Amino acid sequence: MTEFLLVATPGLPLALAAACVLPAVRVRMLPLLALAPAPGLVAALLAVHAPPATFGAGLYRPTFALDAPGALLLGVAALLWIAAGAYAATYQRGAANPGRFAVCWLLALAGCLGVFVAADMPLLYLALALLTLGATGLVFHDETPRARRAAALYIGLALCAESLVLVAMVTLASATPDGSLLIRDAAAALPAMPGRDTTLLLLIVGFGVKAGLVPLHVWMPLAHGAAPMPASAVLSGAVVKAGIIGLLRFLPVDSAIAHAGSLLAVAGMLTALYAVAVGITQQHPKVVLAYSSVSQMGFVAAVIGAGIAHGDAAMPLLAAFYAGHHVLLKGAMFLLVGVVAATSADRLRGTLVLAAVLAVGLGGLPPTGGFIAKYAVKGPLGDGWVATAAAVSAVGTTLLMLHFVRRVQTVAATAPDARAAPGLAGPWLAMAAASLVVPWALYAMLPLGTAGDAFAPYALWAGLWPVLIGGALAIALARWGAGLPRVPDGDVVVVIDGAVRGASAATPRAVAADAVLRRWPAATLLLVGIAAALAAAITAGRG
Amino acid sequence: MPFVADLATPGGALLVLAIAVPAIGVLAAFALGSRHAARIAIAVVAAGFALAVAVAARVLADGAPLVYVLGNWRPPLGVALRADGLAAVMMLVTTVVLFFVALFARADFATPAGVRDARAPLVFWTMLLAILAALNVCFLAGDLFTLYVALELLTFAAVPLVALDGSAETLRAALRYLLFALAGSLLYLAGTALLYGAYGTLDIALLAGRARADAATTVAAALMTAGLLAKTALFPLHLWLPPAHAGAPAAASAVLSGLVVKGSYFIVLRLWLDALPAVITPAAAQFIGALGAAAIVFGSAVAIAQPRLKLMVAYSTVAQIGYLFLLFPLAVGLAHPEATAITGGMLQVASHATAKAAMFMAAGLVYAALGHDRVADLTGVARTLPITVAAFALSGIALIGLPPAGGFVAKWLLLSAALATAQWWWAVVIVVGGLLTACYVFGVLGRTLATVDPPPPRGAVTRGREAVVLGLAIVATVLGFAAFAPVDLVQVGRPPVAGVPR
Amino acid sequence: MGDVTLFGVAGAVLAGLGVYGLIASPQPLRKILALNVLGTGVFLLFGVVARRGAAAGLGADPVPQALVITGIVVAFAATALAVALTLALTRAAGSASLESDAPAVGEDPGPPR
Repeated sequence: MTEFLLVATPGLPLALAAACVLPAVRVRMLPLLALAPAPGLVAALLAVHAPPATFGAGLYRPTFALDAPGALLLGVAALLWIAAGAYAATYQRGAANPGRFAVCWLLALAGCLGVFVAADMPLLYLALALLTLGATGLVFHDETPRARRAAALYIGLALCAESLVLVAMVTLASATPDGSLLIRDAAAALPAMPGRDTTLLLLIVGFGVKAGLVPLHVWMPLAHGAAPMPASAVLSGAVVKAGIIGLLRFLPVDSAIAHAGSLLAVAGMLTALYAVAVGITQQHPKVVLAYSSVSQMGFVAAVIGAGIAHGDAAMPLLAAFYAGHHVLLKGAMFLLVGVVAATSADRLRGTLVLAAVLAVGLGGLPPTGGFIAKYAVKGPLGDGWVATAAAVSAVGTTLLMLHFVRRVQTVAATAPDARAAPGLAGPWLAMAAASLVVPWALYAMLPLGTAGDAFAPYALWAGLWPVLIGGALAIALARWGAGLPRVPDGDVVVVIDGAVRGASAATPRAVAADAVLRRWPAATLLLVGIAAALAAAITAGRG
Repeated sequence: MPFVADLATPGGALLVLAIAVPAIGVLAAFALGSRHAARIAIAVVAAGFALAVAVAARVLADGAPLVYVLGNWRPPLGVALRADGLAAVMMLVTTVVLFFVALFARADFATPAGVRDARAPLVFWTMLLAILAALNVCFLAGDLFTLYVALELLTFAAVPLVALDGSAETLRAALRYLLFALAGSLLYLAGTALLYGAYGTLDIALLAGRARADAATTVAAALMTAGLLAKTALFPLHLWLPPAHAGAPAAASAVLSGLVVKGSYFIVLRLWLDALPAVITPAAAQFIGALGAAAIVFGSAVAIAQPRLKLMVAYSTVAQIGYLFLLFPLAVGLAHPEATAITGGMLQVASHATAKAAMFMAAGLVYAALGHDRVADLTGVARTLPITVAAFALSGIALIGLPPAGGFVAKWLLLSAALATAQWWWAVVIVVGGLLTACYVFGVLGRTLATVDPPPPRGAVTRGREAVVLGLAIVATVLGFAAFAPVDLVQVGRPPVAGVPR
Repeated sequence: MGDVTLFGVAGAVLAGLGVYGLIASPQPLRKILALNVLGTGVFLLFGVVARRGAAAGLGADPVPQALVITGIVVAFAATALAVALTLALTRAAGSASLESDAPAVGEDPGPPR
């Protein structure tokens, strides 16, 4: 039973995507999108710590399994995909190319949930590849010049990142006992393997791109800004967690790689603070949210890094818990943008109050889910500079999210009586509720601590003061923020643009060289020359 | 020694059939005319597939090569046919690709009603069978001179396919191809003369035992390899490939790009791995690997800049041929060579053969629908030909090397061999090559998926033909499942460690 | 100079001439002739090999002779095919030049089929 659930988690979305070959199925697929993540949700509840499901008897045996951090993230990601799928059924109704949207959605879904249940490296790579292809299609979907550029950038960076991960995987596979391909064995072999530091760097950079660590975060603001609303929600909420789960699974809590943990903590905290700084200069609410995601992923990476550096064995579950809260909340926030865009300004008050509470919750306002998430990761963060930086980043997060609440009002519908359809408002409210309730339910279920500890006065104050400072800064930003420089979204993407231009300039030169090489006399001389060179190489090599 | 030199094994007659059946098919098609040629060709290719399966099963069951000694004359006087794991894999790949191509080509090369005999269909179907016969000789021949004859047969069968439409452009491409290939085969022949002079045999198994690293052998190896590279169109000897492969009809391009270049490549493999492993040095292996790396970078860069789809796919072949040669620095001339490199290389051959054939056929359907194949004007084709674009996407994914395509497993094995032999530079080449491939594949896909109103015309493209192309693309995509096989067919008949201790 | 050496030198000279012609002559027909000269050089090499094999005690080694015969047949077929293509090209294009077929980027060389 659990085996079936684990396979069906990516299997059902894939099967639905395959069924889209039939045009009649393709055009009717939108309403079914919300059902596709169901096996994932059930698996997250029933298949935790179930024996791994292994298939075949060949040299390679694909293996599915679910550990506690994976199950936690799988469950909340499935919730978001269900809500966003329901939202998409309304949001995309009547839009062009529903079939293409559905296929890309299902591929991305299969990849996203597959990442959590893949227990061996080729399977994980397959899930990452599916995720990249599907997510690129979602970013591309609106076909504006902006969307095309974002899609090209996204797939380029993602494939580069996956190549690094692939090299790391191949290296790891050569270090595991019996050439085992299981991620668990690879992580166990990592601390003592030859070429460990290179492999660590490949893993951190590779998964760092997927999670949006600075300076490789550039794709996130562009892609999340360009995708259709429900797609942005899952991209920013669930899809970026592929990088997080990768870091969690491959980097063991082991003193031998403490230096890599410190590196990750520095990179993560830099990301968390830098993204806030750029985010408050942004105007479009989706882009502001994307920068918030960059910041939050940096924070999670810092938790992972600091946990490894301290040797905190509880870190993986706690980091997953924090990331899980972000899945729910960020998903809710993106859905909110679409709801606001469909509602007239004078009907917005209640929605905005709820949004503000949730937004500030991400900064750690007690007693929201964000508060308990921040409280849970205090252990792995320790009490050194990382803890201080974390408090600063909480201030920054509050500031950035309040900036978002202010900016989101600018997209409100202009028609006087506009009201969001139930198909939009329902999923948004469900996700908002989930982001408040689910973290507490998980906190109660998991061995994270007791609610009483969390409500100790000291803990409450530790959660509250960054929010208060952040709120004060937000008021200041609202008053005097107009003077801030406008950073283009995707900030350092200009560097990549330059590199791409340089590379494109090389192709005409290659074409010209090709025309010369393909002339008959040149080619015949080369033939004779290659024969001579081969003879020389054979003789010289013998020397 | 990789082979038992002079003993015919039970089941050896299968090897004779594998060569004789397509040869008889050529004669039958020629005698009965173009009206029956298509049916004969499809039946013969299906029979060829059955024979390939039988050979592979036999090789797997025995765990040793199949051998047939012609007329019971033992080498060095006689000629032997041998099927090891490498040959069995190549036969399977060839017949599968040819089968799909033959199904695809039925519409293009049907004899029109009311005509008794048509030139183009007759040439196409007979040459298709001739290619099957010649390739099977390439895979099965046990001595270097028979391989020379096989090479020439292959060229003579391939050249007419290039010039099927009789236009000046394709005739010129065919003539260039023929002349350059002839120069290559004469170099190869000169090498065989030197080898025979030095060792008194051209039998591969006997040569492996006798070859010494002296001047004559060195020159022979260099001449033969250079000649074969010219026929394989390894950069910078690719002058003939782009016009020939881009100019031929889609079905012919699929065979030329997917299979024909693999014939001469396979002989390089035989020469370096089986006949002269004691002569080839690491420096030579690095040199040929460097040519492969240059092909990957250069071919991809030129492919990205191509304005026409078929030319882009042809330059993609120039690049992908480079991948095939990366196997040599990983498998030849090392103290501890990696056997996985050979499996990886063969998987790359199979992956490229299926994916490239599917890609050329998809390009042909796009051309048939739109009346052009300008990359810039492909917008919206996915609306009109969704199945064709899906096939293009799947074969592109196989070329890039994303799972579960065979290209992914090939890449994994080659990477693993590169890292295990501490040659990280080949790992860089493998990874960068995949990314460059992604540039042109996704560049085209992005255009085809764009929305235009009204969608482009569909022409006379039938769903059946689209389904054939998709079928082959799916084969390319699921080739990675070869990794699930409990035994590695490629390694059957190979020495425990590839390469001979020096 | 023994006759074997003479044969060898003659073969090498012919092969060299053939390669030169192959590189330098722009006309396809001359290239075809150059290939035949090159081929003749290689066949002479086989003759030398047969003679040297004979020194081992046999009157003459018959295998290279058989190889040469086969090689000549193949070369003949190749020449016939190449000449036929050259003729067809001359008929279709008015001249039989091998260059000028490289389509420059941006130019549409017309339908490929």
